[in-house]
Amino acid sequence: MKIKAFIVFVTVLITSVSFGQKYVTKNGSIKFFSDAPLEKIEAINNQVNAALNTETGDLVIKVLMKSFIFEKALMQEHFNENYVESDKYPNATFLGKVTNTSEVNFQKSGHYKATVEGKLTIHGVTRTVKEKGTLTISDGKIMAVSVFPVLLSDYEIKIPGAIAGKISESIDITVEVTMDILNL
Amino acid sequence: MKFWIKLFLGLMLLGIISILLSYFFIYNKPQPNYEKADAQYTMPARDLFREFVQNKAQADSLYTGKVVLIEGKLSRIEKVDSLVLAVFVFGSGMFGEEGVRCTMLPNFKETLILYDTTTPIKIKGYCTGFNDDVILEHCSIVE
Repeated sequence: MKIKAFIVFVTVLITSVSFGQKYVTKNGSIKFFSDAPLEKIEAINNQVNAALNTETGDLVIKVLMKSFIFEKALMQEHFNENYVESDKYPNATFLGKVTNTSEVNFQKSGHYKATVEGKLTIHGVTRTVKEKGTLTISDGKIMAVSVFPVLLSDYEIKIPGAIAGKISESIDITVEVTMDILNL
Repeated sequence: MKFWIKLFLGLMLLGIISILLSYFFIYNKPQPNYEKADAQYTMPARDLFREFVQNKAQADSLYTGKVVLIEGKLSRIEKVDSLVLAVFVFGSGMFGEEGVRCTMLPNFKETLILYDTTTPIKIKGYCTGFNDDVILEHCSIVE
């Protein structure tokens, strides 16, 4: 009986510790911006899922392409139908790690430089990426921010010949996610 | 004035008017008015979530890109910066609780806050698909 109670205690402890190290959000934001002679393109998605395990550094970000909101309806239509083909590829994902978690004190408020490495999948194409960002620890929350460029050709996103050169081939992505500890 | 010159000027004027109309009504077209849009589907929020969980491809083909009206009791209201979200929870997964998440239109933020978790509510929004939750954007409350 004592052994059973001990096993239950240890299981509960391990479970609570592992959950205690996982931070999540469903309200992250990803913005993208590109400026070119023909078109300034700007959109925002405020329903971004992110999860960070502070013990292992594992980081997952998942976004629905159709949740990018543009000011102009036609631009949003072109983005979904012609560029990212969101019916065929509804999500973009990042699966990777914060590689320098040993330099981050998740128990202490402050700003920390972070390096993130992993697989970024957009438009059904997966590439290994390594980007820099910051982690801000405050009030028990972790805010992760990173700004990086994405080359459309890297993800086989084609610009129609007629407007090639008038639309930027690179877009700047800003990821901002504020994660809370996961309590289930 | 010669006929050909008149014709040329007329066609040029027609061209300019066409370009201006295209710019204002097609290229510069704002987002549709989702508050006034008719819902193509009406169902309990729980059923919408269950359909996506059970068969995402089929649910996508039915609801994604459509205006959907859901009914149910709110699990909570979330405020993130300037956004207000109505959240219905029916399960849990790797990112936490899962269900239906509705981003409210600006003119419905204040009204939503008046609702509690015991009062049934009807919310209409544009379904953008399933990201562990069913996502509805441009949402309004239907009285």
